[in-house]
Amino acid sequence: MKEEKKSGLDAVDEGPVSSDVSRAEHSGGQADAGEHASVAALTEHFGSAVVRHRVYAGDQHVLWIAPEKSHEILSWLKSDPDHQYDMMSDVTAVDYGNGRPINVVYQMFSTVHRRELRIRCELPLDALEIDSVVDLWKVANWLEREVFDLFGVTFKGHPDLRRILMPDDYAEGHPLRKDFPLRGRFSRAEQTRRALNQDVERFYRPEDLSAGHTPQQVADVEVGTLASDDAEGDA
Amino acid sequence: MGLKDILPGGGTSATTGGILGMGSPTFLTSRVDFIVNWGRRNSLWPMPFGTACCAIEMMASAASNFDLARFGMERMSFSPRQADVLICAGRVPYKLAPVLRRVWDQMPQPKWCISMGACASSGGVFDVYSMVQGIDTIVPVDVYIPGCPPRPEGLIYGLMMIQEKIRQESLTRHFEHRAEEPGLVAQPRASDIEVAELSGAFGNSTQQDQLSDGKTVRVASTSEDL
Repeated sequence: MKEEKKSGLDAVDEGPVSSDVSRAEHSGGQADAGEHASVAALTEHFGSAVVRHRVYAGDQHVLWIAPEKSHEILSWLKSDPDHQYDMMSDVTAVDYGNGRPINVVYQMFSTVHRRELRIRCELPLDALEIDSVVDLWKVANWLEREVFDLFGVTFKGHPDLRRILMPDDYAEGHPLRKDFPLRGRFSRAEQTRRALNQDVERFYRPEDLSAGHTPQQVADVEVGTLASDDAEGDA
Repeated sequence: MGLKDILPGGGTSATTGGILGMGSPTFLTSRVDFIVNWGRRNSLWPMPFGTACCAIEMMASAASNFDLARFGMERMSFSPRQADVLICAGRVPYKLAPVLRRVWDQMPQPKWCISMGACASSGGVFDVYSMVQGIDTIVPVDVYIPGCPPRPEGLIYGLMMIQEKIRQESLTRHFEHRAEEPGLVAQPRASDIEVAELSGAFGNSTQQDQLSDGKTVRVASTSEDL
């Protein structure tokens, strides 16, 4: 057992813990696949495409899956009647730094079966590409744009993949990557100059701001029409 | 202190009546500066540019408890064309910087600017890649209000300082001070060196130029340097 900390301030004296400490394995409890119906079914269904299974915080089941199979697995999870993860709560990513792969995280919820599941895909830094899931969940549109903007992950098949938070012509890279300096790569003077040279009309068009404007249709996707037939065929 | 107290003989004598009483003269003498500044400073219309929590305090200042209307800010002007004071309340990211600059450029002369709160004045705790380090790099600022966020009293005091500034202005000097180069529209207000000085001093954490692997970052001044 580790030495007890007398108070929270003890940790402050020790200074920051570097993220360079290489971990042999992800923390989190080893879990029995039988605890979560979807995990058991996925392992049975896709076999080796399910890389790892851990449980965090008591009942948060996390599955690492092979990125090249991600669309197939997620589509199956959404359409299979025993699972029906019809709500994509979040699509985000984590960069652990030091050349380790970037994890794309899908946090899903099934309103039918009241189950939660977190899916993770590890993408090596030299192959930051994964299939878009906008055709499955419309909400993934902006979430994937955010991951693309801040981490530089390319989502294949995304209908409108461009920056969403940073300016369109942002040239300094992807800010949430660990190899991105906190203050950006340009000097403040250059950043100010570039900011004021932005083409504002491109972001805020008068027709977008006028009353009675109907939002622009970015993705022409029918929600509900899924590759469910294919999935059943595989089974 | 009202007009009656300042003007010579104003309202002091029952027979002459001053300017407001019975039998008052149909003219009065004063300096043009005084009468113009009196009008200007008591009818300031703020242009609210609220981006963050400071805007909540700004709204409170306009509501009944604090009531900015007492000072002549009768109406928040949501069009820059009818505004006199730009109140920038909150942090300004670089993406919003051209919008702030354009709002300022669209305001007619004479105009003043208040930088409300730590973030607008210096970037505050947001010494990061996305945030303007003080709006004075983009627009000229007359009054900085400290606080995170400032209380409504702080904003009101700032506006009263603007009023005091207007009171001391002269029409002739005013145009000299306020002259704007047409070519400088939509350009940074501060020079590169000034921006570096303004933003460099406010670093709020160490090792801002270090990556997670300990390497130090070289800051590029142009995109070609990268």
